[in-house]
Amino acid sequence: MIIPLLKVTNLSKSYDNIVGCKNISMSLYPGEVLGIVGESGSGKTTLINCLSGNLEPDRGKIIFNTNNKETDFLNISESEKRKFIRTDLAFVHQNPRDGLRLNVSAGGNIGEKLMSVGYRHYGNIRSLATKWMNKVEIDKSRIDDLPITFSGGMLQRLQIAKNLITSPNVIFMDEPTGGLDVSVQARVLDLIRSLVNELNLTVIIVSHDLAVIRLLADKMIVMKNGTVIESGLSDQVLEDPQQEYTQLLVSSVLHV
Amino acid sequence: MIEVKKVNKSFTLFNQNNAKITVFKNLNFEVNPGEIVALKGPSGIGKSSILKMIYGSYIIDKGAIIINNKNIATLSAQEILKLRKTSIGYVSQFLKVIPRISALDVIMEPLLNSGDNKNNAYKKSIKLLKDLNIEKNLWHLSPLTFSGGEQQRINIARGFIKDLPYLLLDEPTASLDSRNRDIIINLIKAKSNRGVSIIGIFHDEYSRKKLNVREIDLNIETKH
Repeated sequence: MIIPLLKVTNLSKSYDNIVGCKNISMSLYPGEVLGIVGESGSGKTTLINCLSGNLEPDRGKIIFNTNNKETDFLNISESEKRKFIRTDLAFVHQNPRDGLRLNVSAGGNIGEKLMSVGYRHYGNIRSLATKWMNKVEIDKSRIDDLPITFSGGMLQRLQIAKNLITSPNVIFMDEPTGGLDVSVQARVLDLIRSLVNELNLTVIIVSHDLAVIRLLADKMIVMKNGTVIESGLSDQVLEDPQQEYTQLLVSSVLHV
Repeated sequence: MIEVKKVNKSFTLFNQNNAKITVFKNLNFEVNPGEIVALKGPSGIGKSSILKMIYGSYIIDKGAIIINNKNIATLSAQEILKLRKTSIGYVSQFLKVIPRISALDVIMEPLLNSGDNKNNAYKKSIKLLKDLNIEKNLWHLSPLTFSGGEQQRINIARGFIKDLPYLLLDEPTASLDSRNRDIIINLIKAKSNRGVSIIGIFHDEYSRKKLNVREIDLNIETKH
């Protein structure tokens, strides 16, 4: 019996009278990629913000099972929570500028993340940073350059390197290819996919692009008005959708 | 063995006046180890739907499909993912891949995902590419730029690279010339000789004859 890495039960969050997300329950197993789709305002971002500790939900349970240890995410002290977020979770923002410090060098951005989990040896940090620049296909000669000199695609790849370097147990991605040119999108998608396979990453990815979900996610959930209206294997939900709204979503995609 | 028991399947199209299309009622058949079963019937009768239900891509409305003593109709998403990885190969009609990834990597991926080492996966994939008569100068290019027949063979390679006990083949010989068709037929035969249960859709009489298939005529099976 495999224990889910993340188990969510009846999670709800409202903003005053407006529903963010309501009664969300789901499980995620090690090495799985879960896609979350839905229109703007359906609660996708609220949900991953609650799961990643950026937002405090009103009700529900979030249990992580990492490194053979159970963490009751909503019932631990603030300092324990901060430590858990630092060591076990990672968040890749749609806009890489939200996940990077633009006035710190590329290598510094990556190094900072390593130092936050206890790395102190400068040589080790630099060599690890160089290795990861290479992994995300950024020339290592750019290690001392400021991110403001990078293109959008490079920035996103730098943000991915910064997030993955500490081997987090769950990685959240909010529209990771959303702000990129189509040609750059394919490259970032390919990179994410190969890293997921190579490192057996567990990922929760929000996207309104069904093609992105199809290519990356094993399982998916469809959200509408703050609730999950359909869930299952990605290919099953996309090829044989059972709900009216999901059918509408799938049939609205333009095929080139 | 694959057992299809009393399976019903229909589609409800909510956005088209809730039209309900019934595909099968009470569909029954089984496939033994080493057997090749060909699904027969005019297009639209649901041949691909059967393969997709067995693979878990389509919901089974009623009835059971049993593989490895497990009923696909009641498995959870992660159980189906695991069953696919360990037991079921599926060759779809069309190749779906990300731009930029080379043909070789596309074929190696299923092996690497199941924990095979890189060197081993590389050797196996190269051998299969050679067996499939894919020219060496194409190995490191994205299959999206290939001809229909070449894409088809890459798709087959991806489905055949692992040794799995069940194979689902959706028109594997459709866009191939006669020489390449014979190559694929021999690969399918080799799988069958090793005890793999195979269900396929073969558009041509020639392939069905050569493969010595048992035909299941859906016109008859689904008329009740």
